[in-house]
Amino acid sequence: MSEMTENLDVFTVRTLTQKEYFAPGHRACQGCAEALALRLVLKALGRNVIIVAATGCMEIVSSPFPFTSWRVPWIHVAFENTAAVASGIEAALKALMRKGRLPYKKITTVAFAGDGGTADIGLQALSGALERGHDFVYICTDNEAYMNTGIQRSSTTPFGASTTTSPAGKVQMGQITWKKNMPAIAAAHNIPYVATACPSYPIDLVRKVKKAADIVGPAYVHILSVCPTGWRSFPENSIKLGRLAVESGIFPLYEIERGQYRLSINFPRLKPVKEYFRLQGRFRHLTDSMIEEIEKRVHQEYERLKEKAKQK
Amino acid sequence: MISFVIDGQPVEGKEGGNILEAALDAGFDIPNLCYNESVKPYGACRLCLVEIIRKGKRMMTTACNYPVTEGIEVFTQTEKVLQARRMMVELILAMCPGDKLIQDMAKGMGVHEVRFKKEEKDCILCGLCARVCDEVVGAHAIQFSDRGDKREMGAPFGEEAMDCIACGACVVVCPVDVIRMEEKEDERTIIRWKRTLKKKKCKICGNYFAPWFQLEKFREYTKLPKDFFDTCYTCRK
Repeated sequence: MSEMTENLDVFTVRTLTQKEYFAPGHRACQGCAEALALRLVLKALGRNVIIVAATGCMEIVSSPFPFTSWRVPWIHVAFENTAAVASGIEAALKALMRKGRLPYKKITTVAFAGDGGTADIGLQALSGALERGHDFVYICTDNEAYMNTGIQRSSTTPFGASTTTSPAGKVQMGQITWKKNMPAIAAAHNIPYVATACPSYPIDLVRKVKKAADIVGPAYVHILSVCPTGWRSFPENSIKLGRLAVESGIFPLYEIERGQYRLSINFPRLKPVKEYFRLQGRFRHLTDSMIEEIEKRVHQEYERLKEKAKQK
Repeated sequence: MISFVIDGQPVEGKEGGNILEAALDAGFDIPNLCYNESVKPYGACRLCLVEIIRKGKRMMTTACNYPVTEGIEVFTQTEKVLQARRMMVELILAMCPGDKLIQDMAKGMGVHEVRFKKEEKDCILCGLCARVCDEVVGAHAIQFSDRGDKREMGAPFGEEAMDCIACGACVVVCPVDVIRMEEKEDERTIIRWKRTLKKKKCKICGNYFAPWFQLEKFREYTKLPKDFFDTCYTCRK
């Protein structure tokens, strides 16, 4: 399976487990791809996990008192210490197993955080945990703004996107900075595994998460999750938007295994980014010249990535 | 729900389910290779052996195809079970000494050397690919052939699998990762079944998106209009 390249989601998705570890009935919005991503991630990880979840959409929707959607051990922590708590749990498990209080068993520690909890607030804890080399998986579900509190910009909001704290109007045209390249930051720590994934490509996502859990040492998976509420798009377009983001080169799917880049899906012809922007209200104000500028940058970065992967 | 006991701990399993499923749900560690929830249990790898006491009789059986029964007692870690599992994994290792997963599994169970004649196979003959092809995909492209030590998994007469739609389901389920797929821009090859299919080009974006033969099968099966698959999934309105 390691050599697999293209998306294979025709019948293959049916061979995934039918067990739901992220229970239905949670309070995510219609068309929330982040909840879908979480469901797939938990299917991939199975039963022997401990989840550390930062504050964010997925914490709010899954655990309104007195309910919970989690059928696996789960702990909620603050924004800034997700990776720190995960590393603590990993160290505790190791110690308990060494002292014979727990039988030797593969228990995966997984930290979940949104883009704000990863790229802005939790960055130093994440950096520390990656550098110390704890055996855990860090999963960032990136919906490109603080959607939970009312669509405030974060450092992963793409250039030109209109949010409530980077509104489009007479003074500025939405977000004025480019998206922070989180996978590259994680890869710069020389960790064994970094990957990007998208729930529109379920088998690819499941495979990457499984790989991340199997690898000894820290692993970082960055998942683009479409947010219809914050992106001002129709809920039925969530999967399509995920595919368009990948096919237009805005969010290329790749993995970095021990420093070796590999594109999971390589499109010889990228779709125009306009098609991706057209379906979202947050890019409505962009002029053609701005879209051209963004497209130029997207293509430039895609070429750079291809060069790193040595793929044509 | 049917209640029974595993290793002294009361467990509940759903009607029509099997012991392995219930045990894995309850957190017991039972090794298995040929089990997948999407297809019927088959009992090929014999690694999920457990001991069962039913109506006072003690017997050894595979957990994956034994139905959950009221009042039975299951033991997953007795000396007899562990010994039988060690033997099974040793036999599988003798058949496929090169498989990394089998090597790790054997090491975990305490099997360090193989006493049997080593073969140079890579397939463990669990039949999962054929079962998925039959039950999930419905293509019936591959099946076991021959018997005994000549048993092989493959397309009819070892030639190209003419019914294969190159969906890749077998690639994903194979427990030892020996079914490989190769993807070029305009064609997809399942190397083990010697099947190469040309891919279809999307009329709008110009990317190749899925094998032509596969899409024709889908169209036939679902009675969709002729031009339905002219565009890729993303371009389709």
